[in-house]
Amino acid sequence: MLALIQRELQDHLVYIVLAGLIVAVMIAVAILTACWGMAPAGLGIGGAATALLLALFCLLGAAQMYADRANRISALLATLAVTRTRILAARVLTAVVLISAIFVPLLVTVVAILYSIGTPLTLYRGTIAEVSVTLVLTCLAGHCIGLLAGWTANRTIPALSVLFGMLLLMSFVIVKGFGLAAIGLLLLFIVASLLHVWHRFTSVSF
Amino acid sequence: MAGTPIVIDNLVKYYDGRCVLDGVSLQVPRGCIYGLLGRNGSGKTTMIRILLGLEPPTRGRTLVLGEDSMRLSANTHGRVGYVAEGHNLIQSYRVGRLISLCKGLSLHWNDEFFGRLIETFRLPMDRRVRELSAGMRAQLNLALAMAIDPELLILDDPTLGLDTVARRQFLELAIDVIQRQGRTILFSSHILGDVERIADRVGILVAGKIVADCSLEELKDRVKKLRVIFPDRAPQELYITEIIHQQTQGREMALTVANWNAQKQAILKTFKPESCTEVPMTLEDIFIECTRPASSPVLQESEV
Repeated sequence: MLALIQRELQDHLVYIVLAGLIVAVMIAVAILTACWGMAPAGLGIGGAATALLLALFCLLGAAQMYADRANRISALLATLAVTRTRILAARVLTAVVLISAIFVPLLVTVVAILYSIGTPLTLYRGTIAEVSVTLVLTCLAGHCIGLLAGWTANRTIPALSVLFGMLLLMSFVIVKGFGLAAIGLLLLFIVASLLHVWHRFTSVSF
Repeated sequence: MAGTPIVIDNLVKYYDGRCVLDGVSLQVPRGCIYGLLGRNGSGKTTMIRILLGLEPPTRGRTLVLGEDSMRLSANTHGRVGYVAEGHNLIQSYRVGRLISLCKGLSLHWNDEFFGRLIETFRLPMDRRVRELSAGMRAQLNLALAMAIDPELLILDDPTLGLDTVARRQFLELAIDVIQRQGRTILFSSHILGDVERIADRVGILVAGKIVADCSLEELKDRVKKLRVIFPDRAPQELYITEIIHQQTQGREMALTVANWNAQKQAILKTFKPESCTEVPMTLEDIFIECTRPASSPVLQESEV
């Protein structure tokens, strides 16, 4: 499994670098906002960066599946000592690893800033957790949309599907807000999408 | 069935309403080099892909090392080496990276053997797979399949694109693999000389049906080509079963028949032929006779 995850990370290095850059911008904006009180601008940039992150994970999922189909990667992998389920699991785990790798430093920065300006953390613990989990699940849901849309020989279909899915997802988060209801629905969407992708991936011809 | 590396039972495959495999049943015993023959589009590659779980069957069942092909475990996959037709390698990878990926995803990796193969084939590690010639890609694919020390080696037209020297090297390697106890090879090829040289059992697939499945010696022994000359015009119908091909020209009849025996000989004698001579047949001759559009199923295990 580690070899499969390593392959996914190496093949999609550009997405990792971009995600790193976006998070660096988000961290910088958070620090600047805290130090110089640029709350409205900071929120705008932060929001745009979050939307970019979501788009990035949608594209990552689509790229993983599209590249596989175009280059017949699974046709080779499936003849080695792996199963189709493991190949797909490695793709999902790659996204999970990447999401964790970018959200942990972001969360640590936010908590450190709140702590340094004397905010009572116990009071905001629930809010921080809900916002963090919603953001993580939104990115994961975006990745699932990419996985769903990417398994095609056509370039236009995944691009349009990713765009449509991403807009739908962002609207959903904006309408529902960060909270338990959104978390529940996102979880349901992720599970349903993964089951659908798994069923298709394990029964398709390579 | 236990201990039989490959079992195919009534396999049917349709593509867009077109029947590609029509009730294929065969077994490949352990330690056997099985040569699968057939013309282009006869269903060889589809059968191999179904065996490896790369393609779902429409109907029927295939077992590889005792496991259903569509549910092969990672452990079983790791015991099967595969060289695909056209060489399914990740084209954008450098040779070195592809090797380390395959090594990382294998159960066993025979470094010494693989090193020997790479040295023999002189494969450049720093070149991208797409930059390699077709022959080099074939060699790389073969080396990767061999390095895992496979219990079962499936080769789909492996010598396609190889020059004579490389083909000879491949055949020697295949023999090397088979000599390790219990190893089994299933290979399809258009080069009948290769099959004749290394296979000890052959199957001939014609339009999705197995028309012959027996040992090479039996095939040569059972299929006979006869040149029969009659005193007057040759009869239209001989009433002999399992005629693969029959061609009449005036008094002369060329007859290819399966399972030639005393009974069939007696039937032919009733037509009082002037002479009946046997024409020696190579595997290529048998293959051509069996794959003619009008030929009928001739040699199955049960009949032989």
